Amino acid sequence: MEYALVTGGSRGIGKAICLRLADMGYHIILNYTSNDDEANKTKALLEAKGVNVVLMKFDVSSTEDCDLHIEKWINENKDKNITVLVNNAGIRRDNIMVFIQPEDWKRVIDITVDGFYNVTRHVVKSMLNKRKGRVVNIVSLSGLKGLPGQTSYSAAKGAVIAATKALAQEVGKRGITVNAVAPGFIKTDMTEDLKEEDFKFMIPMNRFGEAEEVAGVVAFLVSKDSSYVTGQVISVNGGLYS
Amino acid sequence: MTKEEIIKTVNNFLVEEFEVDAAKITPEANLRETLDLDSLDYVDLVVVIESHFGFKVVGEDFVNIHTFEDFYMYCFNKVQEKAVA
Repeated sequence: MEYALVTGGSRGIGKAICLRLADMGYHIILNYTSNDDEANKTKALLEAKGVNVVLMKFDVSSTEDCDLHIEKWINENKDKNITVLVNNAGIRRDNIMVFIQPEDWKRVIDITVDGFYNVTRHVVKSMLNKRKGRVVNIVSLSGLKGLPGQTSYSAAKGAVIAATKALAQEVGKRGITVNAVAPGFIKTDMTEDLKEEDFKFMIPMNRFGEAEEVAGVVAFLVSKDSSYVTGQVISVNGGLYS
Repeated sequence: MTKEEIIKTVNNFLVEEFEVDAAKITPEANLRETLDLDSLDYVDLVVVIESHFGFKVVGEDFVNIHTFEDFYMYCFNKVQEKAVA
C-alpha cells in the first residue's frame, strides 16, 4: 500500500495537496500541529474518496516528535510504504529585520528547515531501502527572490531550496526524485491578511492563485510524467517572478 | 545471542541482501570492498541490522568498522548492550 505523507496537511495548500494525492489513489498520512477540527474535516473529505487516512498530530520542528510518530509508524507498518513525501509545513512571522524578535526568527527557521530535516531523514531512509520515492518541498517565491519584510521566511525557504538540490543529487541513483514547488500569492489562510486588490497589479496573470493550482504541480512531480525531473524548483506564481 | 550466532545471522543476511559470495566472507576481509558498498548502500545495511537485531544504528558507528570481524564485534556488543538495558 502506498502512502503519501503531507506535513501541514489540514488546511490551505497542504489540504489541496492531500485531496489531489487521494484522487491519484494514495493513502494519506496527514500531519498537523494544532487545529483538530480542520484536520478531522480534511480527513472526512479524504475518506470520502475511499483512501485510508492517518492523522498525525505533532510539531515537525521537534526531533523527538518526528521520531516518535514517523519512525515508529514506518517500523510498525512494514507492509505499507511512504512513497511520497510533501514537506509543506511552514509559518510566516513577517517583520522588517530590525524588529524581528529572536523567538520569531527561530520559530520560522525551526519549522521550515528543522522540520524538513526531522521528517525527511526518516522517510528517505525508507525510500532508499525500497528504491522508490518522490519528495516534494513546498517553498516560496520568497525563497527564490527574497521579499522585504520576510527575511526570516525567505531564509528558511531558501535553505530548503538548497537542500532540495543537494538531496536530489544524493539519492538520484536510487530512483528517488526531490523537487520543490515555489508558490507566489495563493489564496489561503496564510495570505488572508494580504488584499488581492492591492497586489494583483504586480502579477502578470492579474490574480492570486488557488491552492489547487499548486496541488496540480505537486501531482505532476509525483506522477510518472516527471520521472526524469529532479532537483528542480517549479514556480507557481502567475508569472510574478521567473 | 552468542558470537557464533551473531556471525551466522550476519553472514546469512549479507549473502541474501547484498548478493555476496559466501566464500568471500572471512573475518579479516574488508567489509566495504567485499560488499562493494557505496555511501547509500550503508543505509541498506543499517535497515537490515536494525530489522534483524532491533538496535538503532547511526552512521558514525561505521567509522571504526573495517573488517567483517569488526562488524561481528560491533553487532555482538550492541546486542549485549540491548540485553543489559
